[in-house]
Amino acid sequence: MQKNKIEAKKVSVFYNDKKALNEITLSIPEKKVTSLIGPSGCGKSTFLRCINRMNDTIEGCSMTGRILIDNKDINEKSLDPVLLRARVGMVFQKPNPFPKSIFENVAYGPKIHGLTQSSDELNELVEESLKKAGLFSEIKDRIHEPGTSLSGGQQQRLCIARAISISPEIILMDEPCSALDPIATAKIEELIDELAHNFTIVIVTHSMQQAARVSKQTAFFHMGNLIEVGKTDSIFSNPSEKKTQDYITGKIG
Amino acid sequence: MGFWAFFIIFASSAFFLHWYATNKALRFNAGIKEGSKLPSLPQYYGLYTLLWFIIPILSTFLIWTIFKPFLVDYLVIQKIPANLLNSFGGNPSLILSTVKAISLQNIFPGTKQELIDLAKYMNELKYSTSSSFYIAILFLGLIGSSFTLKKISSRFRARQSVESVNIKLLIFCSTIAILTTIGIVFSLIFEAIRFFEQIPFFDFLFGLSWSPQTAIREDQVASSGAFGAIPIFSGTLLITVIAMSVSIPVGLLSAIYLSEYATNNLRAFLKPILEILAGVPTVVYGFFAAITVGPFLKGLADSFGFSIASESAIAAGGVMGIMIIPFISSLSDDVINSVPNSLRDGSLAMGATKSETIKKVILPAALPGIVGAILLAVSRAIGETMIVVMAAGIAANLTANPFDSVTTVTVQIVTLLVGDQEFDSPKTLAAFALGITLFFVTLVLNLYALKIVKKYREKYD
Ligand SMILES: Nc1ncnc2c1ncn2[C@@H]1O[C@H](COP(=O)(O)OP(=O)(O)O)[C@@H](O)[C@H]1O
Ligand SMILES: [Mg+2]
Repeated sequence: MQKNKIEAKKVSVFYNDKKALNEITLSIPEKKVTSLIGPSGCGKSTFLRCINRMNDTIEGCSMTGRILIDNKDINEKSLDPVLLRARVGMVFQKPNPFPKSIFENVAYGPKIHGLTQSSDELNELVEESLKKAGLFSEIKDRIHEPGTSLSGGQQQRLCIARAISISPEIILMDEPCSALDPIATAKIEELIDELAHNFTIVIVTHSMQQAARVSKQTAFFHMGNLIEVGKTDSIFSNPSEKKTQDYITGKIG
Repeated sequence: MGFWAFFIIFASSAFFLHWYATNKALRFNAGIKEGSKLPSLPQYYGLYTLLWFIIPILSTFLIWTIFKPFLVDYLVIQKIPANLLNSFGGNPSLILSTVKAISLQNIFPGTKQELIDLAKYMNELKYSTSSSFYIAILFLGLIGSSFTLKKISSRFRARQSVESVNIKLLIFCSTIAILTTIGIVFSLIFEAIRFFEQIPFFDFLFGLSWSPQTAIREDQVASSGAFGAIPIFSGTLLITVIAMSVSIPVGLLSAIYLSEYATNNLRAFLKPILEILAGVPTVVYGFFAAITVGPFLKGLADSFGFSIASESAIAAGGVMGIMIIPFISSLSDDVINSVPNSLRDGSLAMGATKSETIKKVILPAALPGIVGAILLAVSRAIGETMIVVMAAGIAANLTANPFDSVTTVTVQIVTLLVGDQEFDSPKTLAAFALGITLFFVTLVLNLYALKIVKKYREKYD
């Protein structure tokens, strides 16, 4: 039987007084890819940011309901969001490498969390992360050049390497390919497939083809509501809700 | 014709010409079928005619005002009677300067009648612009505008022509500022060269003693003057270092607080307040340094059994540092704010704390801009005069002791140029040598700072 890594229970989110998410209840299976689709402004990113509590950093944003990771409430007072974020990595819409070298970008997480004892160990960890992100062979000679000197697709893979360098359990991706060309997109999708062996992945995407290609489970959001969730195949071939049908046939969105 | 009469004629003909040309264009259009009408709107023909009335008049007027003094001098010299010339040893320029003085009402008893007559003549020339001149320039304007009036036809695009005249006007105005700067630099350079004719360049740049008082008369005891600028440079450096060691930490930390920790409302409230600090006149800071901080430090030192002057580098430098805080905090705050949020999110999402994010990501990213802000602040500190005059004294001590009184480049320039001066003594000329040094140093600093800031901007825009 498959295990659920993340459970959202009646999650509502408010920006000041404006409700952005309305009682979302959703289970996300472990070591699988779950994609969130829906028209823009429907709250996909907001939901994603609940999972690593990045919403805490937004002034005026508040949340009700519960989110459990491994059956533990992540909003519990005793739980430090900083520690949570070390377990839940995130990749953003626009590649955002730090203005440092490629090496320093990947070494950033291990350094602040003190994951390695020696510089040899750190080198090894960086190399391994870059390899897992499928970037190492392309850039192994220029690892000390600035991360911003890479192409967009490479930058995004660098950000993925950075995220997996601290071995998170979950990786959240917010439209990771929306700023990339089709070839770079294909590479990232391949990488996501690869990563799903070891990580629980939640990906927001505006491309239904992408959702179909990479994910096992798909959740359809509309105007802050979770309309439908299920196996990706059945959502696309045989949706049970009219709205989902309208969205995937291009009538709304 | 007096000036006002001229002005009234000028204004009313300008008005009339504009109206007339516009009307002419309208009439031109009225009788003609669609397609061969004037290519621009009628008011552009009016405007163009107006411009060609005004431009010849104004430019002649301007040239006239610039060259008139020379013309007056020339005419006065022509009028000098031969016997007067002889009594002045055949030197017309000596007569001219005497006449000038007289024409400004400095008449001493016993002045020769010929000189007074010449002065009267000079005043006449100076203050009466003859009617013929006014009529001539009005005529010039009319010639200019009549040419343009003739041009009104379907082949003449007035709008484009007005546009190009506009551009030339704008270019002219912007060159004024540049030319002024160049003029300032050259006047500094020429006087500085005269200084270096008397004092060797390296004596000035590397000399260790500064006492610009030269003996004016043979029998005076005063020394022959020493123009080694090192004590002044070191004093400037000392005060700048003190000021920066106050303003950099405080300014930078408050910038970090403002941009990273304060809520938007608080920031909107605090930032203007900090910027008000920058608007306080420096003389007020000078008061504060001289009357409050200096004596306070002296009292503090006394209670520890030291004795220091109440005029000290540390009083002036410290207060100057406070004055500069808003520069650094406000500029750095802008720079830190322009670090994209995606970098903050990226770091926080890696499980970094806020202070780790600031230290390891935000500040390194903002560093070039912050350095630029600091360099701008340094050139501000170097150029600051009032606080130093009031709180650090004017003694040119070569010292690194912040409790001594020191002096700075700008303060020396002031003391050298205030009061009686002779424009050929090295004492006065030294001010220009100092001035050009200061200009050069701040110019280099500013250029460098701007370059850094610009480089930083390009990175994120
Ligand atoms: N920082 C914010 N402040 C206020 N409102 C926000 C903020 N972020 C998102 N919202 C609002 O929340 C809703 C959902 O936004 P978002 O989660 O970004 O949608 P999606 O990612 O599906 O396009 C939108 O209506 C948006 O305007
Ligand atoms: Mg989004």
